[in-house]
Amino acid sequence: MFNDKEASKIVDIIKNFARKHSLWVVAYGTGCGAIELPPTMTSRYDAERFGIRGSATPRQADVLLITGYLSVKTLKRVIRTYEQMQEPKYVIGFGSCTINGGMYWDSYNTIKALDRYLPVDVYINGCMPRPEAVISGFIKLQQLISEGKADGAKRYRENLEWYRENQRKVIKNWRMPEYNW
Amino acid sequence: MEINWSAVLGIVFTPVIAFLVGVTYGGLTRRITARIQNRFGPPFYQNILDIIKLYSKESNINHGVMQHLGPVFAITASVTTLFFIPVIKDSPVFTNFSFNGDLIFLLYIMVFGSLGMALGAGQTGNPNSAIGVSRGLSQLVGYEVPFVMALVAIMVQFQTTSLNDLLAVQDHFTKWIIFQSPFAFLAAILAFLGMMGYAPFDVVIAPAEIASGPPSEFGGKYLGLMLTSRSIFTFAKLVLFTDIFLGGAHDFITLIIKTFILYMIPVLTGIVFPRFRTEQSIRFFWSWPLFFGILAILVVVF
Amino acid sequence: MNKNLYNENQTIEEIKNTFHTAEIKLQRESRIIVKLRSDLIPPFLSYAKNYLAFNHLAHFSCVDWIEDNEFELVYLLYSYEKNIVVIAKTRISRDKAEFVTIKHLWRQAETYEREIHEMFGINFTGNDRLNEFILEDWDDIPPMRRDFNTIQFAKDNFYTRPGREDAQDVRETITKKSGEKIPDFAKEFSVRNLK
Repeated sequence: MFNDKEASKIVDIIKNFARKHSLWVVAYGTGCGAIELPPTMTSRYDAERFGIRGSATPRQADVLLITGYLSVKTLKRVIRTYEQMQEPKYVIGFGSCTINGGMYWDSYNTIKALDRYLPVDVYINGCMPRPEAVISGFIKLQQLISEGKADGAKRYRENLEWYRENQRKVIKNWRMPEYNW
Repeated sequence: MEINWSAVLGIVFTPVIAFLVGVTYGGLTRRITARIQNRFGPPFYQNILDIIKLYSKESNINHGVMQHLGPVFAITASVTTLFFIPVIKDSPVFTNFSFNGDLIFLLYIMVFGSLGMALGAGQTGNPNSAIGVSRGLSQLVGYEVPFVMALVAIMVQFQTTSLNDLLAVQDHFTKWIIFQSPFAFLAAILAFLGMMGYAPFDVVIAPAEIASGPPSEFGGKYLGLMLTSRSIFTFAKLVLFTDIFLGGAHDFITLIIKTFILYMIPVLTGIVFPRFRTEQSIRFFWSWPLFFGILAILVVVF
Repeated sequence: MNKNLYNENQTIEEIKNTFHTAEIKLQRESRIIVKLRSDLIPPFLSYAKNYLAFNHLAHFSCVDWIEDNEFELVYLLYSYEKNIVVIAKTRISRDKAEFVTIKHLWRQAETYEREIHEMFGINFTGNDRLNEFILEDWDDIPPMRRDFNTIQFAKDNFYTRPGREDAQDVRETITKKSGEKIPDFAKEFSVRNLK
């Protein structure tokens, strides 16, 4: 018979297979990238064949897809959305705005590097990334999940002080509720 | 005391089979919807993966005791409903607990799941949940009336309230109740559209409008329980309709064929229809289905 | 081009007869620019709305003329009958950035005024909704003023990922090509100076 280690290994394989093929996305679409999602989901590119599905609320979601730039005001909402999601949870930064600011690099109100504020698992670059790029980003995330490397939620919990410090530096008037996530 | 082992076997296996069949039907629905929308669609086992993933979530937030109990109530109601429906005709294993007078009992127990879900959703305090629950209960009032009318017509016509007696009546396919009492079938199948919750009667869980309604605050295992309950309940309703109208089934293959055909009615209707508002759907249920229900009773009485 | 400018000319004539001090210019077909003293703006807008049938306040914005130490307020009025846009411009002092509200003429002006108040810091007397609008928790000088140093602010507040140091000053390239001179005030905020 199996010993404990082998049994948990098998359970892990099943879990990761299910997680990998069932990604429910809550798309935070205030940036211009939101327009790339309808073609990704509908008949031309059909992301549902990989098990990628939109979800209505952050409580049900697995992936937070941040499409485009984040102003300070929206960053607040994104942090709240992220903290309401249930673990394991993943973040995909979408478009060059989330990577280095993109064309808003000198703006007075947009953050320039998303991974300082939230633990990003996969970045999709481009301005705008086409639906093919979006799907390839999701497949990269699936690879990371099956290898067990997509540990954004763990990183966030362990380095919470560092993330909070960065968030507080940008969001001056910190009136965020404490979640027992 | 002598233990009826075949009954025990039925109690163990009926929910498992119901879950597997229900969840596969759910996956096939997504596939069929995708094909109709000119997409490839997810594999048929997609819903099983979704449910495994939801159960394997590491953190499950809850807002109180009722959020634990709500999904449990729902799944209890589904399994109980299933236990009082004879799944396979004349089989000692899958007849389960169906006793004389169980049609009236089923009418009560079928509502219990919705109430459990409403209680659980009420605990979360999310305004979308409250809106969804109020819509769901209003719609429940809408489709229960023609459904009960249809069942009353059948009960009066055959002078019985027992599903086993009804099954015994339909021993040949010309004697199926769908042919003997077509108006009752029409009323019941139109109510069935509302019962299944597909479009045009999906205003309860409208995802883009009220963020999936009652389960909007449910994540992880709570949502997994709800989806499981939904799969089992779907199968239970399909078997109930097959038993009442289509003469039941002697084996699983017949059962699968009959339930699948029945299941395609709300699914295919749902794909091509947009969404009714709550008062529109109630107005619908209280017009043609109610008319057919009254007609069925009148035909039986006179 | 032989265009029928009857409506335009008639409108210009009517404005001229009523407001003698207005500088009026016919920019092109269906575009009339009217420059007015700041105290004449409310009567002019009221006159245009009530007598010349310019019913629609299409836009209301502001320009910062830092060299002249003035703000320019720009009102775009549109007439559905005449198919003409009248652009009313006025200048107010930058030191005392205050103007009267026109929300009694068009209710949507209230929102424009909130935005201009937030972005340029102009106070509109009579508008009581000049509270926080788009920016949250902003405690610097209003960001659309040209003495607000955007690049420096972004550098100080937001982390810049390394690898973009070679961001070129586009203005220099453009001047080289077109032969246009960069004004001194623009040189002050150029990327090269900030490095």
